[in-house]
Amino acid sequence: MDASSLNSAELQRLISQEKERAMMNEMVAKLTSACWDKCITSTPGSKFSSSESTCLSNCAQRYMDMSILIMKRFQSMQ
Amino acid sequence: MDSFSSPSSGSSSSTFSTEEFMDQLKTQLAQAYAEEFLETVRGKCFEKCITKPGSSLSSSESSCISRCVERYIEATGIISRALFSAPH
Repeated sequence: MDASSLNSAELQRLISQEKERAMMNEMVAKLTSACWDKCITSTPGSKFSSSESTCLSNCAQRYMDMSILIMKRFQSMQ
Repeated sequence: MDSFSSPSSGSSSSTFSTEEFMDQLKTQLAQAYAEEFLETVRGKCFEKCITKPGSSLSSSESSCISRCVERYIEATGIISRALFSAPH
């Protein structure tokens, strides 16, 4: 394989785009797992109760809030 | 699968087009994602539905598993929407 063909700027751009997408997928997967454990405490029914779906949604958003808070906390330590 | 060393069809050269490379990259990423997702769902639903393993899978366990899989997929959508489209 000709290595130089893999060095174009276009390819680098496409790869970082895929990397970003992969990171987002990873984030969604991780949060779904964590929030499932916190919010779905009973045997899964044929439909989520409104409190279950609200809990899942809140769980993801509070995780983001927390991430920002932790980042700020670390920045203030420097 | 050794997909990166396979020659591209209809071409005798060893060069690999950007498009081909990206197609294979996307396919492999999607495959890895699907495998990881399946493994997670197996773990979660085993935990929820097979609480006391018997000599065979009971019908209530089977229906729990199919509900669990559906709910896990739904939960993934809820989380995704909460992260990327909900107003903060």
